[in-house]
Amino acid sequence: MRAFLLRRFVHALVVVWGVVTVVFFLVRLTGDPAAFLVDPTATQAEIEHTRRLLGLDRPLAEQYGDFLLAIGRGDFGQSIQTRRPALGMVLEHLWPATAVLAASALLLSTLAAVPLGVLSATHRGGWMDHGSRLASLFLQSMPAFWLGIMLILLFAVELGGLLPAYGSGTIRHLILPAVTLAAAPLAQNVRLVRSGMLEVLGEDYVRTARAKGLAERGVIYRHALRNAALPVLTVTGLSLGFMLSGAIIIETVFSWPGLGRLIVQAVPGRDFPVIQAGVFVFAVIFAGVNFVVDVLYTVLDPRVRLA
Amino acid sequence: MRFRRDLPALIGLGIIALTLVAAAFAPALSPGDPVKNRLFERLTPPMWAQGGSAHHPLGTDTLGRDVLSRLVHGARVSLLVGLAAVLVAGVVGVGLGLVAGYRGGWADDLLMRVGDVQLAFPVLLLGVAVTAVLGASLTNMILVLGASGWVTYARIARGEALSLKERDFVAAARALGAPAGHVVRRHLLPNVLPPLMVVTTFSVARTIIAEASLSFLGLGLPPPTPSWGAMLDEGRNYITTGWWLALFPGLAILVLVLAINLCGDWLRDALDPRLEKGIG
Amino acid sequence: MTRSIGIFVLTALLAVGLGPHPAHPADPPRVVDGHPIDPDAELVVALADDTNNMDPRIGMGSIRSNYIRQVFESLVDVDAAGTPQPGLALSWKAINDNLWEFTLRPNVRFHDGEPFNAETVLFNLDRMFRKNLDKWGIKDVAAGTSFEKLYPMVTKWEKVNDLTVRVHTSEPVAMLWDALGREPLVPRASTIKSGVDALNERPIGTGPWRMVEWKRKDSMRFERWDGYWGPPPLVKRMRFQTVPEGAARIAALRAGQVALIEAVPPIDAAALQREPAFKVVSAAQKLGCRLYVNGRPKDKYDSGGKDGLFADPRLRLALNHAINRDAIIKKIFGGYALANASPVATVMYGYAAQEPYAFDPARAKALLAEAGWRDTNGDGVVDKGGEPLMLQLLFPAKHYGQAFDEMTAAVVEMVKDVGVGVVVKPLDFGTLLQTLTKGTLPPNGGFTACRTSNSVDAEDQVRDWASYTLVNWTPFTPELTTLYQASRREPDPAKRLRILADLQRQIRDWAPVVPLYQEIKIYAHSVRVLRFAPLPELHMDFRGVALRK
Repeated sequence: MRAFLLRRFVHALVVVWGVVTVVFFLVRLTGDPAAFLVDPTATQAEIEHTRRLLGLDRPLAEQYGDFLLAIGRGDFGQSIQTRRPALGMVLEHLWPATAVLAASALLLSTLAAVPLGVLSATHRGGWMDHGSRLASLFLQSMPAFWLGIMLILLFAVELGGLLPAYGSGTIRHLILPAVTLAAAPLAQNVRLVRSGMLEVLGEDYVRTARAKGLAERGVIYRHALRNAALPVLTVTGLSLGFMLSGAIIIETVFSWPGLGRLIVQAVPGRDFPVIQAGVFVFAVIFAGVNFVVDVLYTVLDPRVRLA
Repeated sequence: MRFRRDLPALIGLGIIALTLVAAAFAPALSPGDPVKNRLFERLTPPMWAQGGSAHHPLGTDTLGRDVLSRLVHGARVSLLVGLAAVLVAGVVGVGLGLVAGYRGGWADDLLMRVGDVQLAFPVLLLGVAVTAVLGASLTNMILVLGASGWVTYARIARGEALSLKERDFVAAARALGAPAGHVVRRHLLPNVLPPLMVVTTFSVARTIIAEASLSFLGLGLPPPTPSWGAMLDEGRNYITTGWWLALFPGLAILVLVLAINLCGDWLRDALDPRLEKGIG
Repeated sequence: MTRSIGIFVLTALLAVGLGPHPAHPADPPRVVDGHPIDPDAELVVALADDTNNMDPRIGMGSIRSNYIRQVFESLVDVDAAGTPQPGLALSWKAINDNLWEFTLRPNVRFHDGEPFNAETVLFNLDRMFRKNLDKWGIKDVAAGTSFEKLYPMVTKWEKVNDLTVRVHTSEPVAMLWDALGREPLVPRASTIKSGVDALNERPIGTGPWRMVEWKRKDSMRFERWDGYWGPPPLVKRMRFQTVPEGAARIAALRAGQVALIEAVPPIDAAALQREPAFKVVSAAQKLGCRLYVNGRPKDKYDSGGKDGLFADPRLRLALNHAINRDAIIKKIFGGYALANASPVATVMYGYAAQEPYAFDPARAKALLAEAGWRDTNGDGVVDKGGEPLMLQLLFPAKHYGQAFDEMTAAVVEMVKDVGVGVVVKPLDFGTLLQTLTKGTLPPNGGFTACRTSNSVDAEDQVRDWASYTLVNWTPFTPELTTLYQASRREPDPAKRLRILADLQRQIRDWAPVVPLYQEIKIYAHSVRVLRFAPLPELHMDFRGVALRK
């Protein structure tokens, strides 16, 4: 068991290192932050001077070596645009903004899925079932940002500002972005819960329990739900990854001041330190969550032994 | 086959067929020019709204271009990119996955690591990098989307290869001295294809949405080529004054992707009803 | 007798008591334009972005200037008409061809009490020209403009007395007052003590506002500084709120969350203007957006041996006549933009109006034909010697805003209409800069971009084609170079204005670029805000602005 955990941990580290390395070289291929800092009427000499000041004129291998060593110290350098510590900026934007958004969406997409999925399964074939399946299909078929724009159109424009269209700060500002981000995962989870429940509801031990006269609800929730929980758990783990990358677009649509938007804004300006720090944090969260899901899966289902 | 009794799937297929036809005959179906600016006709509403005209059934955009025409031409982009990117991802992914699964050992480990790194990598960044270095074009868009999608195929192919390579018919082939390539092609590949078909269908749907997302962020095809994602992006700034600009491209994506998902659902049910439901 | 004296004394006392008093500096007016004002109010302004830095040296773009110039001031100030005014310098003059003298304003203090004097100016000049940084113990910063490269003819600066500074040059520099005078000045003692990084966190200037809080990408709070040398703001507190989306700014204004917004999209300005609760004001800016084309000789860029295709002025003139600027301004900018054929913005000192480029596609085609380009194969694109005339347009999508992107699309179609083929390559701005820096613009390449100015004098805009910079792809001919140098050196102001006018006319006729439009910036505010006047500058001036009760 311990060897397994250790291997998964090392694996997670390798993934993070891989992502960070790819980003490091990729962004340096794409542009020169020095040109951004100077006047468009700057001469080549001025740009070179700025590059020297930013340490960008050293050989790539040297920059990479320094970069790796600095990560060990937790130092991702200073943002080129704002001169503040890059990792600090990233964490500032991650918490609370993106964390709140992702957590709300995660909660919404898992908790709301349970009653909906259960109702759907227990009233199979009814209008509730068909309705929720249709809605799920719709939600999984639309681009999340379009849903966001349509919600803005409906709530912020047509209904006269019932909910704010942009920005952050209050619960009211959180509603539309969280709902938009949660929509597709919610749809998926409802279908999962439903199918998990359906599978179990027909099984022997449930029929036995019913025959014994146990309260219907007790039967449902104790036996069936537990069976549905496992796939939802896996999917939730992957959902978090989806939440994080979905947050990039949702934060842009709603001007939500989170990490996704920070990275999106850092890219045009080629703010290498911020891009690197941001992607690092994303990768750590992603790899970390996968690690936790692997561990939980092993704990919950001893039959599974992942390679 | 139970196809005829499954109404949703039939509808889905019908919609897909319609889209294909629309894309193929786009110029014939366009009331106006999707590309030419007519600044004096900008922002006309759809024909049923006040100020609209039958000339432009779905209105015009900020440069006076007919929305319906752009929608119909945009179908070409969405379909082309969706299919091509999935093809690239599929070929690369299945190829790598089969080889890694069959060979095992370090090749397998390497593939899994690379796949994990790929999954943890934000597609957006890849899109920007490719656009920056190679420029924004159809080919590059297909490359980016293909590069971000191959992992699923690789994993499935690898899984199949792992479980199949111990089976009798494979062992027999090897015992007869068949080279690895032959085994992969003749014995593993046909068995991998059925589960892949389902994944492919959903993949096309996901890729169409991904293309729209990249275009929405400005990483799509160069103007004035119409693409649904780019139209959505333009429309986003005119929510109050030009609501039709954001509504119709989104509806188009929704309808097409819905249709594909319906067919995918049916396909999955038909091929193996016990495959885990709901993963799309 | 005593009674008359008593009445006289009483009357005198009454007269003194009731008569006009000299204004006490600590008593701001309570009534402005007939409205009672609320002196303790907070004025909330919505801007499109936060600044990245408060240290003026790092950069003074259009957003940053707004924040920085509330706290810091420069030697030369500017009024609402764009005329230079005394700022931290009371006056400036050229003593001889190679010597300028600045007389400084007395009794000015920084927010921390440090006095502003000649030593301050010398310290700032050292920073601007990157001299003596070791001596001061401060580190170099990656700067927006490098004075030592831009003005190498400035040789030394010295203090004559506490309020007088002299600057020596090696050749005449007619607009030195502008070159040195628009840079906001930082305090000497506290910068040396706390370092240049502290300037960003705790900016200390001489301006009417002190920064009291900065929530990055969210808001910045200011408080009126009562030690200010000039007319104090009539509001006690001010907050700049970052609201990136235009629609959101308007929504915030309507909801009463902010009192004033900048950068109103033209399409919304008309609607706001019709509402009595709001006032819409606008001012022409120095920002000009242009289509730049490659006219560099083959040895001056990464050319693969070919001269820039657009080195022939006739091609560039043809492009100029192909553009229907009127339609663009009316339809895309709602009238909120200017067509300006001069390379100098209309609000700069030295601007001379030039004959506009008429929208004349026939003339454009004729010019192309004159240069040897004709459509010989009927494909709609002119060609010469079998080669079609294609423009590869690098276009920084989403960098300058929606209207700019739409304008580029419109321009592309207009250019195509006269027979020039266009391939549009949208890239992000960083990549465009990379291309320009490396010189890898293709021989038939071009790009659309905007250029603004922090200066007052026209020289800052005519120098674009004098040396090889990022945006110079059509370098001056020798004749134009001579004329340009003359305009820099001429000490007599009247004569210099004539030279500048001549230079602008010749540049217009030579058409190094295709000017597309000059920006008009639109602001909107609630009617509670009094006396707000937009400047032709990059920033807003809130001295004298009041809020009604």
